[in-house]
Amino acid sequence: MMEGVVVKLPSFPFLYPTVSPSSPNCRLGFRRFSAPLSAAVKEGSVSLGHSTRPDFPILHQKVNGSNLVYLDNAATSQKPTAVLKALQDYYETYNSNVHRGIHYLSAKATDEYELARKKVAAFINASDSTEIVFTRNATEAINLVAYSWGLSNLRPGNEIILSIAEHHSAIVPWQIVAKITGAILRFVSLDENEVPDVEELRGMISERTKLVVVHHVSNVLGSVLPIEDIVIWAHAVGAKVLVDACQSVPHMVVDVQGLDADFLVASSHKMCGPTGVGFLFGKSNLLLDMPPFLGGGEMISDVFLDHSTYAEPPSRFEAGTPAIGEAIGLGAAIDYLSGIGMQKIHDYEMELANYLYEKLCSVPNIRIYGPKPSDNIHRAALCSFNVENIHPTDLATFLDQQHGVAIRSGHHCAQPLHRHLGVNASARASLHFYNTREDVDEFIRSLDDTVSFFNSFK
Amino acid sequence: MKPLLLEISELASIAATLPFSRSISFQKIPTKSPPPLQASSTQLQPMEELPPKLQEIIKLFQSVEEPKAKYEQLMFYGKNLNPLDTQFKTRENKVEGCVSQVWVRAYLDQDKNVFYQADSDSVLTKGLAALLVNGLSGRPVQEVLRISPDFAVLLGLQQSLTPSRNNGFLNMLKLMQRKALELLIEAEKGDGSSGNGQIANDNSEKPVENSTSDSKVDEDSGVGFSSSKNGEDSSSGLGSRGTRIKKKLEKELSPIELEVEDVSYQHAGHAGVRGSDGETHFNVRIVSKEFEGKSLVKRHRLIYGLLDEELQTGLHALSIVAKTPSEVEAK
Repeated sequence: MMEGVVVKLPSFPFLYPTVSPSSPNCRLGFRRFSAPLSAAVKEGSVSLGHSTRPDFPILHQKVNGSNLVYLDNAATSQKPTAVLKALQDYYETYNSNVHRGIHYLSAKATDEYELARKKVAAFINASDSTEIVFTRNATEAINLVAYSWGLSNLRPGNEIILSIAEHHSAIVPWQIVAKITGAILRFVSLDENEVPDVEELRGMISERTKLVVVHHVSNVLGSVLPIEDIVIWAHAVGAKVLVDACQSVPHMVVDVQGLDADFLVASSHKMCGPTGVGFLFGKSNLLLDMPPFLGGGEMISDVFLDHSTYAEPPSRFEAGTPAIGEAIGLGAAIDYLSGIGMQKIHDYEMELANYLYEKLCSVPNIRIYGPKPSDNIHRAALCSFNVENIHPTDLATFLDQQHGVAIRSGHHCAQPLHRHLGVNASARASLHFYNTREDVDEFIRSLDDTVSFFNSFK
Repeated sequence: MKPLLLEISELASIAATLPFSRSISFQKIPTKSPPPLQASSTQLQPMEELPPKLQEIIKLFQSVEEPKAKYEQLMFYGKNLNPLDTQFKTRENKVEGCVSQVWVRAYLDQDKNVFYQADSDSVLTKGLAALLVNGLSGRPVQEVLRISPDFAVLLGLQQSLTPSRNNGFLNMLKLMQRKALELLIEAEKGDGSSGNGQIANDNSEKPVENSTSDSKVDEDSGVGFSSSKNGEDSSSGLGSRGTRIKKKLEKELSPIELEVEDVSYQHAGHAGVRGSDGETHFNVRIVSKEFEGKSLVKRHRLIYGLLDEELQTGLHALSIVAKTPSEVEAK
């Protein structure tokens, strides 16, 4: 158990270093970052990774005989004891159905549930907690917008703009709804930095555009999109913007008012909260005009045999008994993250991101997807990659079985993107603030061993 | 529209139509998810039921202790796999649920043994495919269908047996079994081998329905519960064929233990049996000195040889457990 003083690190500007990488596939010209960065981290301070690791019991185990190195955070994050406690607490002391109960337990559960809603609102700087709708996850939230807002607002010929790098959950519901309404989907491709082409997107926006659906941070490319700009362009033609913030909310400060986003979705399980809950942020005026998504209890006002009237948002979109304990757990996760500070988390992960990228570049014949980090291009702490002549599944299997390193292999719910990149699958290592530089070192060491093993066999 | 995948439960119900020895304990193809990797060997399908080459492969993997070496062995199999022609890399031949691409092709020889070819872009998956191809090729379809995926535990490759979209190994095996079954059904349709009055096809070398044979024992047979003509074995409810089988084996092999069980009723709906009159599927458990020194394959061949006439005249399948007296004692 590591004890240490967590020092508030100032944000470092990225300095120009000296050496170029070994692999030609690794973006010629990318330079390693010089010593001063790492030195500051060493100087008597404990990194965020080391100081938070003790809070995550699951990280301290052996897998297939080696210490677990968990690098699949983009798929799901781990939960700190505080969240586990909150869940246990809920179920042990005040589990009860919410909203209509009179008795003590029910009142407490309702209070905590609604408090969690307020926490989410505050976390993303929504103006009011009624703008937060609890869903099962981000996918359900997008479906909610598609079926509720989409079906009542889209007409034949209307255009929805997406990027080819979107997650399936941001594509498929719109395909379904477009088919029903006669709307058309248009896709923005990647530019030479392997990032969605923002200029192309700008050019595509017209008076026919009703909605722009974009990710904030890409779960494959690690790139970040300029949401504020996209929103400005969309609003200029009266179009709405739906932001998929699954990979951004857990890792950086997200301010929906600052972005002026119309809709924003995220999942609890990616931000140290439990599975089974996520949320949709929607501007009040939009939610007020939207018809229900799922029908049932909680979302009604009065029910007659031949018709019913509906509740105000957010209840209107929360049919049935919600994942009460889980929402409260999400609230606890938000408390935990806020206790650290999202800016600090972001800064630490930026260092890790660059370290990961730099070390990966040293692997021969490696191809990392997405932009190379630079002054103006920041990468998230994840890398999807392929090693020439070795299938990513082979890599992932060997890494797991021989080294206890957990990465992901596949299309990461982004088949169109992989098709565009010309590959069937890629391997992906994704970090979170409780990972350390040592995790990256261990990963690279294991990857080198794995690559040698498969290469020696050919 | 043909589903590409059979669920284990579907496979189980098809497999249940095949001869299944029930007089010793083993695990049938499970209808729920298979037991965890730590399942004790008494719960696994006995090795003898697996194709001989597969048994050899399993023993080989068991003798290799180091995990890395196991992978090397696996990759070695993959490397030596015969290449699969591009024309066979079709949708129907693709294994679902593999993150890598895997194709499997199956065909029957004239003895209705199934042969396989496979390919994959992932080296480890290719190794697993090669393992299955080598282990299963050239065997009778029933034998292949009987294989429970649990044997993978014995390989020590940490192969998950949880049926899921993503379990490539499991899905590979299922696809191979499904293809074998389909090929067999097609072939048997073509032979006209089931039932009365069907005209044998040109491909069939052995027209099986033979109206002149006295083996048509329609009246009493079928359900397996009717008393036999000869009055014997009325307790086991054997029809005349069942009795003949029993007599033949008794005469030729002088067994110290012999059980013959008619399980034809389980196959009432089975395509291969439709139109015939029962007495098509039997479980045989036999303990005899005659098996000493003979490999499993030889023992089965011996029995098949003795019952050849039955096989020509409507007996579809035998599930055989053949042991020597000392083997039984040792248990």
